[in-house]
Amino acid sequence: MKSEQKKKTGTARLLQLAATKKPLVIGSLILSALASIVSFVPYIAIYLIVGEILGALPDMANLNSTLTIQYGWLAFGGVVGNILLYWGALVCSHLAAFGTLYELKVNFATHLAKVPLGFHVMVGSGKLRKITDENIEKVEGFIAHQLPDLVGAFVAPVVMVIILVAVDWRFGLAALLGVLLAFFMQFSIYGNEGSKAMMAKYQKSIEEMNNASVEYIRGISVVKAFKQTVYSFRRLHDTIKAYTAMVIPYTLSWENSFSGFTTLVNNIYLFILPVAIWVGMKTTDYASFASTVIFYLIFVQSIATILMRIMYVNGNAMRIIGGVEAMDQVLAEPELIQPAQPQAAGSHDVSFREVTFSYDKAKETEALSGVSFRAKRGEITAIVGPSGGGKSTIAHLIPRFFDVTAGEIAIGGVDIRQMDTHYLMDQVSFVFQDVFLFKQSVMDNIRMGNQNANDEQVIEAAKAAQCHDFIMKLPKGYQTVIGTRGVHLSGGEKQRIAIARAIVKDAPIVVLDEATAFADPENEHLIQKAFEKLMRNKTVVMIAHRLSTVRGANNIIVVEGGRVTEQGTHDELIQKGGKYHTMWQTYTETASWSMANKKEVRTHA
Amino acid sequence: MPKLQELFMLTDKGYKDLKGAIAACTLTNFSLMLPFGVMMQVIMELIGPLTGGEISWNRMWLYFGLGIAVAGIVFLCHKNDYKKTYTTSYTQSESTRITLAEHIRKLPMSLFNSKDLSELTTNLMDDVATSEHVLSHIVPQLFANAISITVICAMMAIFDWRMALAMFITVPLAFFIILFSRRIYGKLHQKHMDAKLAASGQVQEYIEGIKVIRACNLDGEKFSALENALRTMMRLAVAMELGTGIFVTGAQVVLQAGIGLTVLLGTTLLTNGQIAFIPMIMFVMIVVRIYGPVLVELTLLPELFYFQIAIKRMRDLMAFQPMEGNAEKEIKQYNIAFEDVDFRYNDDGEQTISGMNVTIPSGGITALVGPSGSGKSTVSRLIARFWDTNKGTLTIGGIDVKTLDPEHLMSYMSFVFQDVVLFNDTIYNNIRIGNMDATPEEVMAAAKAACCDEFVQKLPVGYDTMLGENGSTLSGGERQRLSIARALLKDAPIVLLDEATASLDPENEALIQRAISTLIEGKTVIVIAHRLRTITGAEKIIVLDKGRVAEQGTHQELIRQNGLYHKLFTIQQESLGWSVGA
Repeated sequence: MKSEQKKKTGTARLLQLAATKKPLVIGSLILSALASIVSFVPYIAIYLIVGEILGALPDMANLNSTLTIQYGWLAFGGVVGNILLYWGALVCSHLAAFGTLYELKVNFATHLAKVPLGFHVMVGSGKLRKITDENIEKVEGFIAHQLPDLVGAFVAPVVMVIILVAVDWRFGLAALLGVLLAFFMQFSIYGNEGSKAMMAKYQKSIEEMNNASVEYIRGISVVKAFKQTVYSFRRLHDTIKAYTAMVIPYTLSWENSFSGFTTLVNNIYLFILPVAIWVGMKTTDYASFASTVIFYLIFVQSIATILMRIMYVNGNAMRIIGGVEAMDQVLAEPELIQPAQPQAAGSHDVSFREVTFSYDKAKETEALSGVSFRAKRGEITAIVGPSGGGKSTIAHLIPRFFDVTAGEIAIGGVDIRQMDTHYLMDQVSFVFQDVFLFKQSVMDNIRMGNQNANDEQVIEAAKAAQCHDFIMKLPKGYQTVIGTRGVHLSGGEKQRIAIARAIVKDAPIVVLDEATAFADPENEHLIQKAFEKLMRNKTVVMIAHRLSTVRGANNIIVVEGGRVTEQGTHDELIQKGGKYHTMWQTYTETASWSMANKKEVRTHA
Repeated sequence: MPKLQELFMLTDKGYKDLKGAIAACTLTNFSLMLPFGVMMQVIMELIGPLTGGEISWNRMWLYFGLGIAVAGIVFLCHKNDYKKTYTTSYTQSESTRITLAEHIRKLPMSLFNSKDLSELTTNLMDDVATSEHVLSHIVPQLFANAISITVICAMMAIFDWRMALAMFITVPLAFFIILFSRRIYGKLHQKHMDAKLAASGQVQEYIEGIKVIRACNLDGEKFSALENALRTMMRLAVAMELGTGIFVTGAQVVLQAGIGLTVLLGTTLLTNGQIAFIPMIMFVMIVVRIYGPVLVELTLLPELFYFQIAIKRMRDLMAFQPMEGNAEKEIKQYNIAFEDVDFRYNDDGEQTISGMNVTIPSGGITALVGPSGSGKSTVSRLIARFWDTNKGTLTIGGIDVKTLDPEHLMSYMSFVFQDVVLFNDTIYNNIRIGNMDATPEEVMAAAKAACCDEFVQKLPVGYDTMLGENGSTLSGGERQRLSIARALLKDAPIVLLDEATASLDPENEALIQRAISTLIEGKTVIVIAHRLRTITGAEKIIVLDKGRVAEQGTHQELIRQNGLYHKLFTIQQESLGWSVGA
């Protein structure tokens, strides 16, 4: 299992991600290393040219012009070779990068579907979206650009040091002293723990600004209605201000080290100079001394470019590591445990045995405690009770959106935790109160219930769910894409599409969570018809507000404060004169309520 | 250069700051020439003995000292430009973000219908982030480099025009290649962006629809829409990178060929005795460095193009006109009249309201009923001027709503809509949105009247409890009551009520009914009714069908008419009695 591995962090983790496309990555690294080496060829060529010329001085007629011009071509070839090799490296790395990106996103999405649903509620969709869209996206930059550059940034200094020391170690060491100082400056910018903490703060303030703007735009209709655009605007405004207040000092905190770095890398010749004077005063072969010094003066120019590149890689790596950590945090969220040896359900009766559950394990508040009941095949088991009492929790536990804290839920006597999740999902159809339709065709939306259903089966299900007539009135019938312009579905229509989904799935167990809640009363009777079709010969667990709709249920379970307080048929419960009886009375009163207001008209204050 | 300001959507201050940043960068570039000058002096000194002269070691020490001083200047210039460029861009993007946000809140509701959330958020966040990057890392350097390269070019030409030509000829060539590829790049980039947006939309759907996805066993790659979108994005990204890569690489090869060209020409000229050694070395030293900044610019140009796309999107958004009107005129009567009103949501869409002539009396309950899609909600939204009518007039107390400032108009109305939007803030503040001037006592009173107090008090920190994203921790009934508390606090004379279609548990239902009764007391009430039972006592019932008024009157009158209302009422009575298994 993945979770068994030791968690890698930082650059090691990035490399681990890149390794999924090994051949391409390795190809890219080799090409990039070669490009780095070749990039020094022009300098060597210039060195050779300078040597030729100084050897010929003072009379240029002595110059071996053919050889000198050949060195000229060598310089040119080095430049072009470097570019082409580097480009080859980028081609490989991009192919690897986009491939990895794709896999990461798919894995992330798969993982999201496997963690307990509570995680989604806690984290919020905005953040998860940001991670998928932005943080994971940054890995692309790492593999496509940073990785080859990283190799370049590693190989180039090595070659540089070799050249520096090989030509004349005295100048070489002087130049290296300058390089080390520059490195020290650079390390003071990015390397320490303090800057990592700042980076985290930076990420966080961007995230807050992001969340605030999502909320701002989502809530704009309300705030306009209350003439409170300033209020929600202020919240966004504050996060924007906070971001600026954070980012400016953050960036400016580097102004000295950053400027010092730039100054140093552009003035490394100053380290050469005293050594040159010292060496030059005692030299015996002045011509070769002069040509060596001139070579160093030209060559140290290249150090600026090389070091700048390393710094660029480093700075970016920091940003990416922050992004990947956010992704890994989500990936570290444990998935629901899958059984080692999945079992199949014996029958299709659903039973709760002493089920206890709490959403937040740290807190002691239990959403359900000791809930036991049995829903038999071919029967309707209704669950009623005040909201917040735990009705919806019961519905959410059956598909294992969460796992029970204690007790067990069994289908046909087999604990659902002993079943393969996909198998479990195949046994149960759900219709929830908040219907979610995808921006896909109506046909595909219904087919989600059963990917193997052909068009005829989908249409048949739509007919049974009383959807067919309104679907045919849509601009493109079943091919109409939901959410496109001019396509508006009412709550009841959406609900019936969800029922069609469940019908096409045809699972033996049906869970309805206040499924009529958002139905518009005017076509409620259509939904009722659709239900009758869906529920035939199934084990039905139905959560209901409208008590009248479950009067005929085989068993009504009253859930209050997370406990089952009563159960029985409608008549039995009414006779008992308990909670259900009170609820029934309230229900009949509200059902006959009508609006009225006192007649006096007040003017606007 | 007033166009520059417009081009980058800069504030006056931002423009001034940008000019300052460019100047600072140019100064840095020039300061970087100074060490170079010192180095040339050193080289000249060095080759003295080779051409029959002498070398003075004292002068060498002098150059060293000069070099140190020059390094100090470089440091100061760089520090100055670093500070200016970053401060400029972050300050500018702050004001851009705020301007955009400010503008968005003034836009008509119709815009929020057509632009989806992720697009507007992209506008606000990503595009500004792009321009932030461009303004700090690209624009000042680009201008500064252009200026300093031109100056260097001119100076070098004085020494030897042939060598200068060899050195700079490749620059325009490389730029030409990049400019030439711009169209191809633009096309590929647009495709890639579209694919990215599509994938991003799919991700959002996937996350929001996670329950369904799970229940239908469609996790991960089995959810083909997401999988396809991601795959397409990958394909187009590769196409874009490789397509543009060829040109960028080509341009780089051409540009850097200048190094070879200069060295070649230099050695040729030198062997022919047409150039002295010192200028030749100088050219060689410059040529190995001069392309650095140009190269950076070449690679940054595409980003600049992308920046243009971002700017265009922001500009488009800013171009949407906010609704305007009189913010002083007082409304004294609350009777509402529709005269020949036509309305459609999109120019090419279906007519939602046609030829509507109807009046809503001041004080009293008027119900809007009709099948879904009949235009009930639209009528209420037109009254609130979320949209303007296409034809005809809509007046409140005789005043055409088109002449009123939308926010001013809103101050006369309270809304209780089905989709309750709650903010990630405390419960207390969520209620207080109704009236920011309300005292804590008034807020509590409204909460009590809306039957919120009981459930709020049960929460660990009561009114200070933070609601999560869109109040996801509350039940539907609780959310409804919070929104009623808001409306109560606002105490506006007109109440627009979109009766919740969602059925709640009886206790909640009873509480909400009580809260609504308090809210509508003595108000002009317009209710979009779904359950006809609740509005049987209304003063006036307007029955809509396909955007037209089908019938109007009291419950008794309409029942007697035996038309659409009668039919709807009967069906509802029947479905109310339905039960499973019966």
